[in-house]
Amino acid sequence: MDRLKQLPTLRINTDEPLTLKYRRKTYRGAAGDTVATALYAGGVRIFGRSLKYHRPRGLYSLDGECSNTCMAVDGIPNVRTENTLLKDGMVVDAQNVKGSANFDWLGFIDKLDWMMPAGFYYKTMHKPAAVWPVAMKQIRKAAGLGVISPDDEMKGRYDEQYLTAEVTVIGGGPAGMAAALAAAESGHRVVLLESRPHLGGCFDYRVTTNGQGTHLYERARELAEQVKQTANIRRFEHAAMVGAYNNNLITAFQVGKAGDGFTERYIEIRSASVVVATGCIERPLLFEHNERPGVMQVGCAHRLARTYGILPGKEAVFSVGHDLGLEAAVDLSDLGVKIACVADIREDGQRPDLLEALAERDIPVLGGWVATHAHGGKTVKKATLSTVEGTVRRQFPCDLLVASAGLTPVSGPFILAQAGMGYDRRTGYFLPTGLPEKMFPAGRITGINDPDAIEASGRLAGLEAAAAAGADVTQAAAAARQAVAALPGPERGCKLVTAPVKGRKSFICFDEDATVKSVKQAIDAGFDVPELVKRYAAVGLGPGQSGIPGHNLPLFVAKYTASTGTPKPTTVRPPLVPTYIATYAGYNHHMFKRTPLHDSQKADGGIFRNIGVWQRARYFSEDFDCKEEILNVRNNVGMLDGSTLGKFRIHGPDALKALQRVYVSDMSKVTEGRIKYSAMCNDDGCVIDDGVVTKLGENDYCFTTSTGRAGQASEWIRYHTRFDNWDFHIVNLTDSMGVINLSGPNARKVLAKAVNIDVSNEAFPFSGYREFFIRETIPVRAMRLGFVGELSYELHVPASYMQTVWDMLKEAGAEFGIRNFGVETQNVLRMEKCHIILGQESEQRTNLLDVGLGFLWDRTKSDAKTVGAVALRQAENDPGRLTLVGIRMADDTRAARDGAIIVDTKVRGYVATMRKSFTTGEAVGMALVESQLAGIDTRLQIFEDECNGELLDARVVPMPFYDPEGERMKL
Amino acid sequence: MALTLTCPVCGKRNGYEFRYGGEDKGPRPAEEGLTPRAWCDYVHMNTCTVGIQKEWWCHRDGCGAWFTTFRDTTKNLEVKPPEAENGQA
Repeated sequence: MDRLKQLPTLRINTDEPLTLKYRRKTYRGAAGDTVATALYAGGVRIFGRSLKYHRPRGLYSLDGECSNTCMAVDGIPNVRTENTLLKDGMVVDAQNVKGSANFDWLGFIDKLDWMMPAGFYYKTMHKPAAVWPVAMKQIRKAAGLGVISPDDEMKGRYDEQYLTAEVTVIGGGPAGMAAALAAAESGHRVVLLESRPHLGGCFDYRVTTNGQGTHLYERARELAEQVKQTANIRRFEHAAMVGAYNNNLITAFQVGKAGDGFTERYIEIRSASVVVATGCIERPLLFEHNERPGVMQVGCAHRLARTYGILPGKEAVFSVGHDLGLEAAVDLSDLGVKIACVADIREDGQRPDLLEALAERDIPVLGGWVATHAHGGKTVKKATLSTVEGTVRRQFPCDLLVASAGLTPVSGPFILAQAGMGYDRRTGYFLPTGLPEKMFPAGRITGINDPDAIEASGRLAGLEAAAAAGADVTQAAAAARQAVAALPGPERGCKLVTAPVKGRKSFICFDEDATVKSVKQAIDAGFDVPELVKRYAAVGLGPGQSGIPGHNLPLFVAKYTASTGTPKPTTVRPPLVPTYIATYAGYNHHMFKRTPLHDSQKADGGIFRNIGVWQRARYFSEDFDCKEEILNVRNNVGMLDGSTLGKFRIHGPDALKALQRVYVSDMSKVTEGRIKYSAMCNDDGCVIDDGVVTKLGENDYCFTTSTGRAGQASEWIRYHTRFDNWDFHIVNLTDSMGVINLSGPNARKVLAKAVNIDVSNEAFPFSGYREFFIRETIPVRAMRLGFVGELSYELHVPASYMQTVWDMLKEAGAEFGIRNFGVETQNVLRMEKCHIILGQESEQRTNLLDVGLGFLWDRTKSDAKTVGAVALRQAENDPGRLTLVGIRMADDTRAARDGAIIVDTKVRGYVATMRKSFTTGEAVGMALVESQLAGIDTRLQIFEDECNGELLDARVVPMPFYDPEGERMKL
Repeated sequence: MALTLTCPVCGKRNGYEFRYGGEDKGPRPAEEGLTPRAWCDYVHMNTCTVGIQKEWWCHRDGCGAWFTTFRDTTKNLEVKPPEAENGQA
């Protein structure tokens, strides 16, 4: 089809042709086209088939308010082609068709609508019960929209942006632009959101003039230019608002255009005040076959011609209820559409100049008439018009039926912001009864229609919003208020909901194929309020998010139930328009911390795992049992990167008091040069953290926490001392210090070569703490621990020196055959020693006593002033608790999995950690069991997924399994 | 998600940055005469006020301070102290 290329209102650039492929045919469009308009220009009238009845569907609103033109675009299903800008080489396909959109083998289902009353999915084919699974499968095959395959992957870049603004304007039409310009005068930061790809709104495509004689489209471009020139207005075009929350938090999604660094992006705006200038959509007119391809709304037909240069049809009939319809009829007639007749629901009240213009063009206008029937098998061939009362009918041949009952405001932002909604009897609009704080409406949403009034209301709202955000605009606002008062106010709106028809094929919701008849059925079945009808008859549950039925449904329900109350719109929820989950997800952040030794651990063959917020080397060989690594530590010497350990310093006059509060032990007994192992509990006595504390000086301590607790430790201490006004400071050294764990019988020999302090057992004994410098430069805090059960040094080194110290030790250990070991080896080594890891040998309910750490608790401390002590005192004599025990499998070749459950007639506990011990040759581990089962030699049975129904035998054995006297770590 | 809170150190900030610390129940009870029941109530019983409630928050992703503020639980918005409003607490 040839485009109207000379129109000044065009938003396409015909010099930049683009193509798309649909059913092996190539369609030509131009830059600025949407996928839908390019297809329409190429003669496509049927875009897909409806969800339930497989009815043909076509262009209707051009703003994506229904699923009519949802198609699969480049493999992505349910893309709203009316809102998707054409890109060269796109491949599209129709949805829910067996065959093609034009010839759908399932089209016959439309004739079977009598079999499918409202709620049939819940009621029929459920008896006998065996029928339903079969029926459901068939129904699901026949119904639905797009199809996605589970291994689909979204392509593209999804960005996110978090803005702060004084004023946010939702809607980039004339009112929105005027509001943004007015708000920006005070220097405020203004954000302007427009859902279409260009600013302009209802002015953008209209050639009528405003009070100054300027064409509206020119005025729109003037305003847009001003907006662009204003530095403190940030425009987001093609950015639909999807959420509005109290406190004026606004969320939106922006579609990227060519050259943008993103496919779509999520925008979250914290705004002091908000202007809602979302304007109106058209309220669909309900009549028989009101969604036949060829039936479209006024704005759709008008914009097709004016914005995209496509004549929507050759011969048109209009059935409208608003002056915009008359205006479009005049304009389309001038552009070359033959208009047989304009039926106006209103008897009178039309703008006289429009009536004159229609008369000049010999277009008959029938006041008080309405369309009742669109005829034609697949597309419209003929329209029946009737008086509103249904007394007289006339038929007109046509290929285009422009139908709309009137306007209805896009009130979603108000509903989302939890404003109470009421019905305005003059305009027939659903409007907020009370506005949310600092939210101001502007433009057609208030019921006005005069172009100058729209702009003036925008200016006033912009100034009010600026004032609410703190600007002094008293004078300007007073002037703007006067200007608004002098211009026409809200107009009477058309109230007609349905044409005089029975409604069997009058669709109130296109997405879910819900008709007037099915709404009646739902009401007759007792679901007599809109929110219930919505769910029972599935009205407005589809991708259009109630765009089409949202306002007709409550109006129709009110009429049909002869309700005297105020109709209320059904609730809408974010996202207001369909959005990709990918856009919500944003960047696929891979956010894990790396230790200072990450690269060298990787070079040494480390196999990494994400553990908490860290990436850690779990193994250093493909042997995931780590036999070599384990035996090397037991018999020789190994090194572990323990940098993830939480490391803190606490100092200040009340530092000791703070430690006394959160640790269960008496921390006054910590002495310089010695480490103290202790634990923290929560107020329920459940153990949450363990670590060692060292004393640097008076009220100056260092302590370590488990890797997982590092993030919360200082918050925890401050929380439990929040009423005390104590004077202390906590410094988190977790990231600034690294930790090297040097373990094994040869560890001393290695360390002695690398440092010049006396590391003999006498000078640096077990549980000792030393500070020294390596080569007079690198400060090291060293402690002798026994976590893995061997002679072991833990060196705390500044992160920047970690690699250096690591390399020195590696070099020093070369002659002994020093090797790396990973987290799994450490896990087995400490398990053999029955040293617990919190979170592995404990869960949320496990208290200090359960895991056998009761000896840490100093009972002479004040219970009420020690976190967890009161609960421990109570739990002490509670027999119903789990106890940590050592267990050994009857079959030493078959270690149970971590987490396997211990059962008899019911669950009695679970295996915390279990491995085949290479050191002892036994399959041993630790388990939390009910205290009655904790006696040595008690027989336990273990169930796990892989046991094939045969319970595994184990028994309770003494702990630890290795070096029970603890001699080796004190060597 | 719309919540903002006013940290005494950093000022008004996005609610995402904070961690909730529960209703304000006052300091830990004294050791003397403390019954298990009273202790349990202190730790676990909440009033769950419908309306304006005094509560603890931690500016976790900021300065780390613990502070009390007032929040209207029906709107999930921070409000001025009720004394300054109309005396309801």
